[in-house]
Amino acid sequence: MTIIDLANTYHQPLSIEAAVSLLGDKAADTVLIGGATWVMRAPLRDQHTDRFFVSLAKIPELHRVSANATHLELGALVTHQGLAAATTALPEMAALAQAAAHSANPAIRRLATVGGNICTQGFAAADLVPACVALAATVDVQSGAGTATLSVEDYIPSRGSRPSDEILTRVCIPRQSGKSAHARGLLRRAGEYPVANVSLYMEAGADGMIEVIRIAVGAVETSVKRWHALERVLKGQHLATASVADLAETLMTDMTPRDAIDAPGWYRLRILPQLVERAFSDVVAQIEGVS
Amino acid sequence: MAVNFTLNGKPRSFSGDPRTSLLDALRNDFRLTGAKDVCGEGFCGACIISLNGEPKTSCLLPMGALDGTTVTTIEGVGGVETLNEVQQAFLDFDVVQCGMCFPGMVMTLTHYLAENPKPSRTEVKAALTGNICRCTGYERIIDAVMSLQGSGAEVAIQT
Repeated sequence: MTIIDLANTYHQPLSIEAAVSLLGDKAADTVLIGGATWVMRAPLRDQHTDRFFVSLAKIPELHRVSANATHLELGALVTHQGLAAATTALPEMAALAQAAAHSANPAIRRLATVGGNICTQGFAAADLVPACVALAATVDVQSGAGTATLSVEDYIPSRGSRPSDEILTRVCIPRQSGKSAHARGLLRRAGEYPVANVSLYMEAGADGMIEVIRIAVGAVETSVKRWHALERVLKGQHLATASVADLAETLMTDMTPRDAIDAPGWYRLRILPQLVERAFSDVVAQIEGVS
Repeated sequence: MAVNFTLNGKPRSFSGDPRTSLLDALRNDFRLTGAKDVCGEGFCGACIISLNGEPKTSCLLPMGALDGTTVTTIEGVGGVETLNEVQQAFLDFDVVQCGMCFPGMVMTLTHYLAENPKPSRTEVKAALTGNICRCTGYERIIDAVMSLQGSGAEVAIQT
């Protein structure tokens, strides 16, 4: 029989270094929490919660938001609500703003954090993750071995094998000249996780030709997917002539859709071309509005 | 580890498992059953309370996170003998049916109206995104909210 020492089950370190040290001591039995919206639902997923909670909420620098001419920097505990507010004046980050402002529901957006969204394995329908991938965001991580920076795109598939004492401390999104958008496919009008979502970033030349495009798909597979095949087809096409939904339809074999309680895999694929079209049209409208 | 916080204007202490949800503590330890235990995953809104002045889902809040905070539940939004303006409007418009959703609705709308005193009908619907009602079809709820337009009602929750 395991006896839980209740006084020792919830830790709130005051610095990143203290949190890393704590993880180094107890990593095997520890769950790291930001907004706690995932771990508090563990019993619903038949997962046990008799683990040490290490909350990062009392570390001030993890709540900071700053923007300069080159980057938007977000502490890992910036909430979806805080992120939506921080990106309203950064039009090229519309994908992130839209993802943050419409994920889940208002009460959850006040709790859930950008770091939690990126770090949580098993959460296929995260909205911020595809937006971060499309916008070429990076994350800073810190462990007993030191600090490192890597792209969100590289971080996501490595989540299961990261050092056990590592903490994601910061998300950094480059300021760019292009435009972006995020489209969510829901079963209801609002207030739930998406069945599929698409984030798209694009730069076009003065002649209207697509020069840079990044497309990230969420919720369809078990983890976010960068849709390189569709990007290759669209790059070099003219904004006005690209039939994005039709092109996406021809590349659906790229996807390995997941079945889950909210929707079967075939349904996610069915709506995906229209979501790509919606995000693409939104970006084109932004670009044409500028020019 | 004792968690000390303010609950409906009074100092309270919680010495149980700090991983317990605020919802469970409210209902089982403090005997405040206004916040309802329904979905348990933050999507129905029936357990919404005010934490430091903002509506949040109490099912997703571990007690360990609440030290030094101010929590207001549906039991604390009005006076002992009086309802707040949203509660009174709900009564006037015969909004409540089964009663499971309305405490969360009141918490959400009280905060929302304090920040947006003259919302449109569409905006009220958007504000209720995280509050699910399976009885009313929402229209009477929205009618009640719209009746408060420009009333100058004091609906702020203490922080």
